[in-house]
Amino acid sequence: MEPRKDLLEIEDLSREEIEFVLKTAQPYKELFKRSVKKMPTLQGKAVLNLFYEPSTRTRSSFEVAAKRLSADVTNLAVSESSVVKGESILDTVDTLQAMRADYIIVRHKASGIPNLIAKHTGASVINAGDGFHAHPTQALLDAYTLRERYPGEELAGKKVLIVGDILHSRVARSTSRILNKLDVEVGVLGPGTLMPDGRPPEMRKFGSFDEAFDWEPDVIYLLRVQFERQGEQFFPSPGEYHAVYGLTNTRLQVVRERGIWVMHPGPVNRGVELTDEVMTYERCLINDQVENGIATRMAVLYWLKPETEFA
Amino acid sequence: MRLFKDAEIAAAGSRRLTKADVLVEGGRISRVEETMAVPEGAEVIDCAGRILLPGMFDAHVHLREPGRNDKETIRTGTEAAINGGVTGLVAMPNTSPAIDSGGLVRSVLDIARRTARIPVQVAGAITKGREGKEMASIAGMVGAGVRMITDDGSPVRNPQMLRRAMEYAREFGLLIASHCETMELSGSGAMNEGRVSYKLGIPGIPAISEEICIERDIAIARQTGCRLHIQHVTTARGMEIIRRAKEDGVPVSCEVAPHHLIFNETDIGSYDSNYKMNPPLRTADDNAALLQGLIDGVFDLIATDHAPHTAFEKHQQDFGNAPFGVTGLETALPSLYQFFIKPGKFDWGVLVEHYSARPRILLGLDPVEIAAGNAAELVLFDPAGQSVFTKEFMRSKASNTPFLNQPIDGQVELVVVGDEILLSRQEGEH
Repeated sequence: MEPRKDLLEIEDLSREEIEFVLKTAQPYKELFKRSVKKMPTLQGKAVLNLFYEPSTRTRSSFEVAAKRLSADVTNLAVSESSVVKGESILDTVDTLQAMRADYIIVRHKASGIPNLIAKHTGASVINAGDGFHAHPTQALLDAYTLRERYPGEELAGKKVLIVGDILHSRVARSTSRILNKLDVEVGVLGPGTLMPDGRPPEMRKFGSFDEAFDWEPDVIYLLRVQFERQGEQFFPSPGEYHAVYGLTNTRLQVVRERGIWVMHPGPVNRGVELTDEVMTYERCLINDQVENGIATRMAVLYWLKPETEFA
Repeated sequence: MRLFKDAEIAAAGSRRLTKADVLVEGGRISRVEETMAVPEGAEVIDCAGRILLPGMFDAHVHLREPGRNDKETIRTGTEAAINGGVTGLVAMPNTSPAIDSGGLVRSVLDIARRTARIPVQVAGAITKGREGKEMASIAGMVGAGVRMITDDGSPVRNPQMLRRAMEYAREFGLLIASHCETMELSGSGAMNEGRVSYKLGIPGIPAISEEICIERDIAIARQTGCRLHIQHVTTARGMEIIRRAKEDGVPVSCEVAPHHLIFNETDIGSYDSNYKMNPPLRTADDNAALLQGLIDGVFDLIATDHAPHTAFEKHQQDFGNAPFGVTGLETALPSLYQFFIKPGKFDWGVLVEHYSARPRILLGLDPVEIAAGNAAELVLFDPAGQSVFTKEFMRSKASNTPFLNQPIDGQVELVVVGDEILLSRQEGEH
């Protein structure tokens, strides 16, 4: 396996690399049960959290992951207003070079920003979500979460139904891609306005929950409805969304009877994507996803090699 | 007096090259003969093995002056044109301020007279400030020499505004050029909407954004009888709409840009903003359809939409924020040679017809085909040469082209306008 500098999108990864990260994450998760949760792996290394978009959850997850590997972590929350017009993101990165970061974790509302930064720096760049483009660590943690339930070869051939905003979701793009690479079947369901024609052909489209249930999915993956991202109207109301595309209590009965797993990248909109009852459903994996996020991100930090360490 | 000896002459619409000697006297072509004795006192230019073309004419160029001289000036833009074998062009009016009055047209033409070595035509705006609200001073611009008006860069959003402008402009014999785009459908789009935009997570510009506006503008041309020119057509369907309108007798012409023939959305790769322009690169199927349309004669012109931007804007920003546009004046001729003429997809006659003869006819300018009596605007092209588009090679201020640092087959070796040699890459200076 060739050493890899950056994690920008799932598309770039080989099956071997994906399996390596999933395998590496496992002992890290074991570690959480111990009283001493730290390992010296990245002692003396500097990790920079560069978040242009507010995100407490993902940023904290990376921060905890880096600290458990004994790295020094600096959080840089760059609010949009502080980015002076005329100063490009690369100017900022040049400034940050002085901090000698070994790993730069980037979140930005514009697609492709991590790719741009990665070309410009010797540090390892980890994409923590860019625009509608990609969220590869989310995809890895989702794959890890599913692998826990379907160990080894059991995962191949399983069916995951992704529900919601396929158009604007970087999670849908990255998670569906990793599932394809792990031979998991992917179905999609959502409002016609959020179901782009340009989606990959391997995403099987359903017109309704009933139709999707007939497909007999093993997992239902609900996407967060991003009200704040949409300048225009894509569905009449949150109430109508819930009625047609939400995991309602009526649908939860079917889900429970069939033992279907439920996932969501968080944070959830209660009463829109799902109900309170779903949150306490015994096969709801949302909390597992959060915990696995830390272990997976530790594995990613361990795996990537900044340019300084090549050769 | 200058004799171009043993040249292979390309002519509009002609499938083959004609070997001949061309004599230029007093800035005009005086004789074209299969072979002639060297007249006394004539400078002989050996053209053996090279193609002699009439100067190219680019009907769609952004020179950026006034207002954005950091991107390009009339001087650097016209030098870029010469470097690419282009000896005439139309400068678009989306400068700052927009060229929307006779006074502004005169001031731009005045800068051109002082700084440019080739003639510059100026297109005026259709509406004041290109804002789509009030008509620009059309008669004033016509008086200053304008032959084409356009709000290029944007459509005239209000169809009633466009209708009135076309009814008014018709009486002046003006050509209205349309950038066809339905802004509400384009939204914040930055590339073609489809597989690739989905994968990259970049908002898309759907083909219908362009096609609906083409339909609309053709309907208005049909109604008003005003001559309409559709700029930079990119989709197969858009082209078919125009083909049908022409068959119906609507006074419409259209152009295709080299980049829309050569590249498609997949070339964007990992967010390469050198491939970001508006209208955007479409699909491989569109490439093929546009090429066939050019060969079939649906397209009247090839025009580059030369759109220079600073390195900062294009290469230091993310794809979504980088401005639309690609340069083209210097790369058009060699790239069309390499991609289409050399492999036999079309012949020199197609290129000369669409990139030299017809744009001049459309604008009512004198022809420069290589024939006795015409003004001498000559380009000697060496098909065995090679051009490498480094920043040093290019004369444009900008380098936002996919061909940056790339070698292309063929080289513009000599550019002559009248008695003057504007460019020479021949051994030994003239």
